[in-house]
Amino acid sequence: MRFDLDLPAWKWPFYIMRHPFEGYEDLRWKKAYNMKVAMIIVALFFVVSVCDQLLTGFLHNYSMTKVFNIVPVIIQSILLFVTWVVGNWALCTLFNGEGTMRNICVNTAYALVPYIIGRIINIILSNCLTRDEATFLTFVNIITVGYTALLLISGMKTVHQYNFWQTIVSMLFTIVAMVIIIILAVLLVSLFQQVYLFVYAIYTELLYRNPSLSSSALILIMVGVVVAVIAIVCVAYTLYEKAQIKKEQKKLR
Amino acid sequence: MPSIKRIARRVVSAVLAAAMLCTGVVAYADEPYTGYNYDWWGDPVPSQNGYVVDKVISGLDIGCGQLTNPADLYFDDNEKLYIADSGYTGNYDTRDQKGRIVITDKDMNLITTVEYLDFSDKQEWLKEEEARFERGELTEERFQKEINVYFNNPTGVFVDDDNVYVADSENERVVQFTVDTDKSGNGCGKVVEVFTRPDATYYDAGTTFRPEKVLVDAAKNVYVCITTITRGAVVFSREGEFNGYYGANRVEKTGEVILNAFWKLIMTTEQIKRMKRSVPVELSNFDIDDDNFVYTVTKNKNSDTDVLKKMNSAGTNIFINLGYNEYSFGDPLIKYYRGTTYSSQICDVDVGPNGEINLLDLQTGRVFQYDDECTLMFIFGGSGDQKGTFTTVNAIESIDTNVYVLDSRKSTITIFKRTEFGSIVHEAMSLFNAGKYNEAMEPWNEVLRRDSNYWMAYIGLGNAYLNAKDYEAAMDNFYFQSRSGYSDAFKSWRMNFIRENFTLFAVIIIAIFVAIYVISSIRGKARLKKRAAADKILREQQKKEEG
Repeated sequence: MRFDLDLPAWKWPFYIMRHPFEGYEDLRWKKAYNMKVAMIIVALFFVVSVCDQLLTGFLHNYSMTKVFNIVPVIIQSILLFVTWVVGNWALCTLFNGEGTMRNICVNTAYALVPYIIGRIINIILSNCLTRDEATFLTFVNIITVGYTALLLISGMKTVHQYNFWQTIVSMLFTIVAMVIIIILAVLLVSLFQQVYLFVYAIYTELLYRNPSLSSSALILIMVGVVVAVIAIVCVAYTLYEKAQIKKEQKKLR
Repeated sequence: MPSIKRIARRVVSAVLAAAMLCTGVVAYADEPYTGYNYDWWGDPVPSQNGYVVDKVISGLDIGCGQLTNPADLYFDDNEKLYIADSGYTGNYDTRDQKGRIVITDKDMNLITTVEYLDFSDKQEWLKEEEARFERGELTEERFQKEINVYFNNPTGVFVDDDNVYVADSENERVVQFTVDTDKSGNGCGKVVEVFTRPDATYYDAGTTFRPEKVLVDAAKNVYVCITTITRGAVVFSREGEFNGYYGANRVEKTGEVILNAFWKLIMTTEQIKRMKRSVPVELSNFDIDDDNFVYTVTKNKNSDTDVLKKMNSAGTNIFINLGYNEYSFGDPLIKYYRGTTYSSQICDVDVGPNGEINLLDLQTGRVFQYDDECTLMFIFGGSGDQKGTFTTVNAIESIDTNVYVLDSRKSTITIFKRTEFGSIVHEAMSLFNAGKYNEAMEPWNEVLRRDSNYWMAYIGLGNAYLNAKDYEAAMDNFYFQSRSGYSDAFKSWRMNFIRENFTLFAVIIIAIFVAIYVISSIRGKARLKKRAAADKILREQQKKEEG
């Protein structure tokens, strides 16, 4: 371990890339976790994912660029990152992991650097290579993805202070946790959609029945009704509580 | 005095009114179907019609009385059209007399009809069969069917020179006859050979023999298509001996099949025997071209392997997907509409004079025309009750530039003629397939002028430019049209680019090397200096401690 490390924050990811095992230990020792750099890397990850679909040469571009949709790209990059961090944190805090959410986030982001570099190399190469030379792209891909996986293992191992097998198992279970998170999220979204549709149905119904009513007024009324209902519930609950407290006091006396 | 303005206004309005009156209403008949094609992404895009309806012919137009459930069409070499009118019951008395063969010329004028058979040249065979029947080798039912002088539901017809082959399905035989006229001037068939159910032991005893379609190759072997047999077409030699099966489909690798293969690894032979067997889908129809290649189709809905096969005489498929999906036939998109699934069911195949392949889709009533390399050219027809649309299509034939489609429910034959656009595409395609890329350029440009969605035109132009060594234009045409073409063009373009700018590249590369060397040496020196300074400080500290 080097104790004379005094790097600026932006140099850390590259230092870690050069020292996959020692680097994270140094990062931990120096407490040099930097959220800003991590966020920039995640943003780059997203940008590179977009470029991968749009700028990869025609010969090597197998994505459906006739209609480009950014939502799947967001899901594949940013949402994937967030669910990984949340899933890993949720799992490992239960199993003696020492990592905080912040540290996991930074370590994961730093591990993405080789992948991003590989993507950039591939985007440039794909515009210069013919179809027979696609092997080079595959080669770069395998190397960089493998390197990212290695860094990720090393990072998770360091941040939670696990041994190797614990890290592997925790990572596998993190993937399961991610799946669960995504399922719950989809469920929640569809549930809210139902609520929205219900409210919208009421809104249109009222609008059709009262042609004189303007739509903005109706929205105001509906918000007012909701607020009123909440207020009534609150007041009723407070009154109930007070009554209960009085009863208790009586008993105590 | 009216002002000039008013006069002008009156004159203009009068002229306009006259113009309106003179124009009238132009009535024009549009096709009841929209021509479409598929683009590089596999999405359907509208296209010009390559074929439009010429006329619709019924049995009454031919002059032979109404057709009933016609099942097959065939054009012979003399441009005579044979129609297997399978449900015809005209003046027959019993139930096992049904169907006839109607023969017309190219313009659908009646030549003759064949309603019964004449066994006078087959007396020896008759006697032999009778002897077999008396010995008990044939059942009475089978014997009666074999020697039936009438047809019973003839569903397939094929002509080789003068010999007409009819798949007489209810009579469980294929008859070969020559067309003759009897004393009263009616057409009759002089039987040459009768192909009946094989007695060979390797013809599966459980299967029935109900010939649906028939064809004959150059060696006069007779191929019989039977939909209850999944092992391919039944082949007879010209003497009527059973020669085995030809051209079975492959078993589609569905999840179930793979799972069964896995279970077979661990099961005992007894258990395997009891398992459901995975069998390939049956052949539905076939055709043969001038080079003796047999084309088979299957109309099974649940299978998309071996929908169309082009086989040599050994039964080897040429249109085989070797790991890629190079060939796909019919509509690749499966459509769900009001609770029903629509996917293509190819029920007939026809090979045209220039090797173009017409496939007939039972489900949608569409005709898919491919060139001989299986590139989709046109889609026409559809389902419906208008001219040019169908209810139940059965057979397709083509001659010259016309395509004939038989609808068994409507009992009509629809003749499609090629449009100008169709002719241009065909001309371009035949030049292109002959390798005459430069000659094909003009028609391809014309095609693009008429229909800029036409995918194949870009490929043709791209190849022409590639041939003319105009790589940039070739790349423009291949861009999002053909990966392999673009790759070839790009390779040459890149080579040229590097050659032209070689000095630039050389200078850049040398500059990079020099820069790397210089920077690394500077950094190395700096590092040495730093280390020396650190050592100095360390030494001074040590001295101090000692001192």
